[in-house]
Amino acid sequence: MECREFREIISLSIDGEASPEEARLILDHIEECAGCRAFERKTRAIGTGVAKTEGAVPPDFREKLFARMEAEELLPRRRSLFAFSIRWAAVPLAAAAALALFLVSSPEKDKDAVSTRERLPAVARTGPAVETVQPSSRPLSGSPGSRLGSDPRRETPSVARAGAELTPEERDIIAHLDILEDPSALDAPGDVDEMDIFEPPHRRQG
Amino acid sequence: MRTDEELIELYRKGSRDAFEELFARYHRKVIHFAYRMTGDQARAEEAAQETFLRIARAAFTWEPKARFTTWMYTVARRTTLNFLRDDKDDRDKVPILPGEEADDGSPAIQLPGPASLNPEEMAWSAEIQERFVAALQKLPEGYRSAFVLNRGDGLSYEEVAAVLGITVQAVKSRIFRAREMLLESLSELLP
Repeated sequence: MECREFREIISLSIDGEASPEEARLILDHIEECAGCRAFERKTRAIGTGVAKTEGAVPPDFREKLFARMEAEELLPRRRSLFAFSIRWAAVPLAAAAALALFLVSSPEKDKDAVSTRERLPAVARTGPAVETVQPSSRPLSGSPGSRLGSDPRRETPSVARAGAELTPEERDIIAHLDILEDPSALDAPGDVDEMDIFEPPHRRQG
Repeated sequence: MRTDEELIELYRKGSRDAFEELFARYHRKVIHFAYRMTGDQARAEEAAQETFLRIARAAFTWEPKARFTTWMYTVARRTTLNFLRDDKDDRDKVPILPGEEADDGSPAIQLPGPASLNPEEMAWSAEIQERFVAALQKLPEGYRSAFVLNRGDGLSYEEVAAVLGITVQAVKSRIFRAREMLLESLSELLP
């Protein structure tokens, strides 16, 4: 084998591409051959020198590249901290808005409506007492020094007044509410359809 | 840590962080490769920028049949070659070789003598680096690419073959020939 062939294997060996047998062959040869020994040393030096040959990385290299990429819409723009904060602030804001809507709209209103309706039977019970007041005595009940102050039922004069002005239809509704309030007043299930109680008696009979 | 291929996939899905991670991993390697190939800092920067732009443009259609680095160096080499072709018509950018006179008439940089050439031991200097860069530019592009990818960037013969689209045997041959030519070019630095 000539030195040039050995040097080809030396080149492989430096790059880690020689087989173990080739590496041993090279070691044996360079011990005897000064020329190939020098070639091996210089070749390693050149490889190290090329690896050390580096270009400089300019400080604005990244910014320049990313600006070009953003201009070509190749890089998603990073969201600003402000936008990020607004995005997350939207969660509690939305929750607060939903709560406000909840309080303002149906649930609370329905609750008020139910509680008002629940008070109606009591008003209805007080109604007849108010109704016992004769029309001729109404001016007395509204006048100073009347017995309103001593009657606890008069603590809600507006309601009492409303009871005093009940029309026959309203009394009919209140009567039905009394039935709802007292389950014993209902017909037993099976006697009539439960929804029939809301129908006028004459229709139920039919 | 995510693989390069996973990062590319994330970038394709719109992740900026994934591309930034790839950039952080490889931008130095790409700049150094382009510098060794062109021998010109400004050209190396332009080529490296263009390389990343091309990778970003092609990422959405790239099918990972090989490693990301193989693809990246393939793009980097082709991009660099385009810059070198442009340079051929630009006589002003032909590098001034050591020992030649500069355009302004001043003498070229005096390099250290042969006794100091042992990159393992000597203090690495800008002058010696220029000497190496100049020697690389004398190599045929095929030899230079193979040698730089192997010695400069640490690619195996198989990876170099994949980047250059040649056989491993051809890589062995090119690298050996490159070494012979570099020894000749740098002989005065070698003890």
